[in-house]
Amino acid sequence: MISESAPSAAYGHVCLAYDEPAALDARAVPFLAAGLAAGERVALIAPGSRDELARRLGRLPGRDAALRRGALRLLSIEQMYRSDAVIDPLAQVRAYDAATTEALAAGYAGLRVLAYATPLVRTPAQRDAFTRYEHLIDRFMRHRPMSAICAYDRRELGDAAIAELACMHPETNADVLFRLHATAGEAVVALGGELDPSNHRLFAAALDRADPRPADGRLVVDATGLRFVDHRSLLHLRDHARRHGATLVLRTAHPAAARLAELLDLPEVRVEVRR
Amino acid sequence: MRTGAAAGHVGYYHEAILFDSEEHLLAVVVPFLLGGVEAGEPAVVGFGARNAELVRRALPAGSGVTFLPGGDVYARPTSAIRAYRKLLAGYVAEGATQIRIVGELPPQTLGATWDWWARYEAAINHAYDDFPLWSMCAYDTRVASPQVLADVARTHPREARPDGSHLPIGDYTEPTSFLAEPRAMLLDPVQRTAPLVELTDPTAAEARAAVQAADRGQVPADDVEDLKVAVSEMVTNALRHGQPPTRMRLWSGPDRIVVTVQDRGDGPKDPYAGLLPAGDGATGGLGLWISHQSCNHVALHRHDDGFTVRLTAGNPYFPV
Repeated sequence: MISESAPSAAYGHVCLAYDEPAALDARAVPFLAAGLAAGERVALIAPGSRDELARRLGRLPGRDAALRRGALRLLSIEQMYRSDAVIDPLAQVRAYDAATTEALAAGYAGLRVLAYATPLVRTPAQRDAFTRYEHLIDRFMRHRPMSAICAYDRRELGDAAIAELACMHPETNADVLFRLHATAGEAVVALGGELDPSNHRLFAAALDRADPRPADGRLVVDATGLRFVDHRSLLHLRDHARRHGATLVLRTAHPAAARLAELLDLPEVRVEVRR
Repeated sequence: MRTGAAAGHVGYYHEAILFDSEEHLLAVVVPFLLGGVEAGEPAVVGFGARNAELVRRALPAGSGVTFLPGGDVYARPTSAIRAYRKLLAGYVAEGATQIRIVGELPPQTLGATWDWWARYEAAINHAYDDFPLWSMCAYDTRVASPQVLADVARTHPREARPDGSHLPIGDYTEPTSFLAEPRAMLLDPVQRTAPLVELTDPTAAEARAAVQAADRGQVPADDVEDLKVAVSEMVTNALRHGQPPTRMRLWSGPDRIVVTVQDRGDGPKDPYAGLLPAGDGATGGLGLWISHQSCNHVALHRHDDGFTVRLTAGNPYFPV
C-alpha cells in the first residue's frame, strides 16, 4: 500500500503518445519487466488477438513462464469492449479496484497495466467519458498499488484529442502545456505546467471532467507545480468552486497569482503563496 | 446637495490648478478644502510630502481635512483609478453628497511616463463621472513641460484660479477623442541598442520564456513575474485581435526590462482600454487592463503600419 505521504513520483500514471507502435513496444517491455521484477502482476491491454499481443512482448524476459503462472495477463481490447464503446468511468474503476485486490490476494505486490487505449477514445463522446475515467483512475492509483501507462496513437487521434487525454495525467510525453491530476493531503486536485489563453478552454474541460469537490466549503488546489496561471484560468477555478458553494484556495509558488486575484477583486479566491 | 462651484453639477467636476507659486496654490486649495469641511463634505488631499506639509500648515488645527498617506496612489494610473473609485464609493455609501479632492502627480510622472498619465487625466472625466466628485489636479507651471501643460489643458474642463473663479478651458477635448489620437512613444534609450530577443508570431508561452531568460536580477523577481503576465496578455491580444505578423522585441538594461509587442492592426477599439476593465473577464478584454497594473509603464502607440504596446519592468524613467 502506498502511503499518503509518499511523493507523487511513487505512483505511476503516464500518458504516452506514440507515432510508431514498434517504438512503443520497445518501451512496453522494460515497463512490464520492471513490474514482474518487483513482484507485481502485469497486464497488457491492446487491440489484436492474444497471440498478437504475446508477439508484441517477444522480448519480455520470462514471458511464457509469467503467462503460465498468471503474473502476466494479455487482454484483447476487442474481447473486452465493443468497437464504439463509451466506457462507464465508475464501472471501469471498480473493475481495476477488483483486479488490484485480486492481485494483492494472490500475493502480488500490486498491479501494473499497459493499455493501448486508442480504440476507446476515437469519438468526442468516447473521449469525454474516458477523460473522466482517467482522472478517477488517477485518484485510485494515487492511493492503491496500481500503476499504468496509457498509450495513444497520435497518427490516428491527432494532437487535439491527445491533448485532451494527456492533460489528465501527472506525466506525459505529449506536448501539453498543463496537467491536472490527483494529489494527496488536503488538496483535492493538483495542477502542473502553465495555464494561459492558449489552453484555457482545454483547462475548463479538464476541470469539468475531473470535477474536484470541495471539503468544508474550501476547494483546495495544489498549484505548486504550476509555473504560470492567467486570469481566465483563475476564473474557471473560481467558477468551479462557486458552483459547489465553496471558496477556491490556490496553493502556488508564484505571488503573481495572488496579485491577479487582488486585481480582479475575487473575494471567493484565496491564493496561498508557498515559495 | 452639492456646494460651491460644482453646485447643481451632475457627476465629476474636474479642474486643474496651474500654479506658479506657493501662494497661488494655497489661495485655491485652502478655501476649497475648508468650504468642503464647512458643508460637511469629505475634503481630501492627495499631495506629495512637500505640498501636503505646506497645506497642512496653512489649515487651522483640527481642520477635518483628510490627508492620503504617501504618493502610492499615483504609482500606476489604472491602480489610481481603482483606488479612487473605491474611496469615492466608500464616501457615497456613507452618505456624502459631494467629495472634494485635491491631487498632485509626483514629479517623475511628468517625464518619460507622462503619456499614460495624460491618458489617465482624460479617462477620469469618464471614470469618476458616476460620483459627485469635485477635484482639482495641481500642476506647477514652473516644473511641467509645455507638452504636459498642453495635455493638462486638453484633459481638464476647467481651471480653478486664486481669485476664486472657475473658468472653462477652451482646449478641453472629450476623452474619447483625446484617447483615440495617435500618441508619440518616447524611445527608451535601451531601445537604441539591438534587442536581446526578437520573435515573430511567438506563442504566449514562448514570449513568457523569453522574459524569464532575460531575468538577470536587474529587476525585482515579482516584477519579472508580473511582466510575464503582461507580455503573455499582449502577445495573445496581438495574435487574436491584431493583424499578422506579431513581433515581440525585448531589451535588457541595467535597471529594467523593456518589451514591445507590435502587430499590423489598429490596436484596441475601446478608447479606455488599459485604464478601465473591458468586459466581465470571462469574455476577455481584461488583458490590457491587467498589464497596466503589472508594469511600471505601458505606452500605446498607433503608427502608419500598425500598433505597438511597450511594457517596462523596473525603472521606467529616462531623461526626456
